[in-house]
Amino acid sequence: MTDRDAGTAEASARPGPGTDPDPLLRIEGLRKSYGDEEVLRGVDMALDRQDVEVIIGPSGSGKSTLLRCVNRLTEFRGGDVFLDGESVLAMDENDLRRRVGMVFQDINLFAHLTARENVTLGLRRVLGMDREAADDRAMAHLKRVGLAPQSESYPAELSGGQKQRVGIARALAMDPDLLLFDEPTSALDPELVGEVLGVMSDLADGGMTMLVVTHEMGFARRAATTLTFLDEGRIVERGPPDRLFEAPERDRTAEFLRRLTDLSEDRDR
Amino acid sequence: MSASERDQPAARRALGRAGESLPGGRTVGLAAGAAFWAWLVVRWAALWLGYDEPFVPSGPFEALAEGLHDDARIIDATGGPLAGAADVVAGFWFWFSDVARFLAFSTEHLPALARGAWLTVVLTIAGILLGLVIAVPLSVARVYGGRLTRGLALAYVELVRGTPLLAQLFVLYFGLNLSQYFRGLTGGLLPGIAAWVAVVGFTINSAAYQAEYIRSALESVDVGQLTAARAVGLSRLEGIRYVVLPQGLRYAIPGWTNELVYLIKYSSLAAFITVAELFFQADRIAGNTFRYIDMYGLVALFYLALVLSATAFMNRVERRVAIPGLGVDSER
Repeated sequence: MTDRDAGTAEASARPGPGTDPDPLLRIEGLRKSYGDEEVLRGVDMALDRQDVEVIIGPSGSGKSTLLRCVNRLTEFRGGDVFLDGESVLAMDENDLRRRVGMVFQDINLFAHLTARENVTLGLRRVLGMDREAADDRAMAHLKRVGLAPQSESYPAELSGGQKQRVGIARALAMDPDLLLFDEPTSALDPELVGEVLGVMSDLADGGMTMLVVTHEMGFARRAATTLTFLDEGRIVERGPPDRLFEAPERDRTAEFLRRLTDLSEDRDR
Repeated sequence: MSASERDQPAARRALGRAGESLPGGRTVGLAAGAAFWAWLVVRWAALWLGYDEPFVPSGPFEALAEGLHDDARIIDATGGPLAGAADVVAGFWFWFSDVARFLAFSTEHLPALARGAWLTVVLTIAGILLGLVIAVPLSVARVYGGRLTRGLALAYVELVRGTPLLAQLFVLYFGLNLSQYFRGLTGGLLPGIAAWVAVVGFTINSAAYQAEYIRSALESVDVGQLTAARAVGLSRLEGIRYVVLPQGLRYAIPGWTNELVYLIKYSSLAAFITVAELFFQADRIAGNTFRYIDMYGLVALFYLALVLSATAFMNRVERRVAIPGLGVDSER
């Protein structure tokens, strides 16, 4: 409990991101268990519009579950999540998901549809756009992620990086208020990670509000407005990435960041 | 996915198509199939117009059989130093005579068999397609349903699979006397009253089997597909309809083809509720002529032709709807 209290107190005392009285996303005392196992033990955070929050933490720390609570792919037990001041529990889940896009670790492109059709499915069936308008919008977003030439390719014909960029275009085309990224580069070959991170950086620069679970420290440093270290279902430390990298307040944060940095240097070598 | 695999998807697809160029055996098979169906369709048309005489008269074959038989007896009677060789030749001659007799017998009864084959085809296609209409919701209920719908679907499948098809047909035809509801639905090449009852029976029965094939196919669709559909904002049912089913039904094709093949042959059970389909005709003719071996051999060729046609057709369908880069088109 001390960890959590410290983390929360620290987050609310800190000026800057998350202190806006009217944040886009506010998570309050979020709790979630699978059976007897408590995965989230009271998480509080807030994201303003155009914030890019990067969440790091060891495997099993509850990062993915946290994201899935935000768009209710997972139902949570305690606490609440507010989007634009409204509790997500009070919202129709399909409306909620239309406003909160998601990009998956295992990408999950619709295997039977072309890149373009992957994007248009939601536009047509959820937003009710006609074919022509949906096609135009899909092409615009595929172009944005640099995949206009591959618009008629099927997922099995694309590289992992290309697939994930289609996955981003698919989420982006719905014109969401917030984009969730669940380890978007973890399943990719190392040489393909860059193209995906590039697209994500462009989005961040363009003012997209993003909640990103990733261990790409380069991206965190470059694009994140806030970095959160989650462990055992609690926020251990949260703050501007530079501060966490240069002067983490907690030993566990320092140790975890050191290990991550070592890992990525090993890989880069 | 390796680097080389993703470099040339278009080339790989082209290769897949070119790989279909027909080796000799398949050409012969296709030609035989085409000839069979051309004959069958023309025969059906002729029957529909009221012409039920054989296209080729059986007389010449009978004369040939007689002649060959006589020759064989003469050869067989040869004595002297060539007697041994003559025996062998005579053996062949007797056999040729038998073949000619079989051809004469066949040509005589082909119209009746074609008439039966029409009903077999109608029963099979109606049963499999109407069964599919029931099987899809049934399988979705089993995979995605709540406790109650899952239980109901399971009960249906187990009840229908757990009882003999013949017993089901008897219950429908003799027990429930279902035929009374089909009185107005006959005439021309339309199936008779009993055949409609058979269609109902095959539909109910085939739906249960098809549902199981489709269920296993649906379960093989990655769960992430539905999650991704829901994350875009599609409802559960929309996700199943637009994302899971289009993939699952493709995966179901091989199993579904198996069910089609079964149904072609199991449709012969309709003979027991007086439907004059292929087996019924064969059985009737064999009983009248006492030439069981010849008739069942001939009707076996009919079923073989129907089954091979069905599998060839479904192979084409499977290729046609294959997702580029996945399944039959890709290297394994």
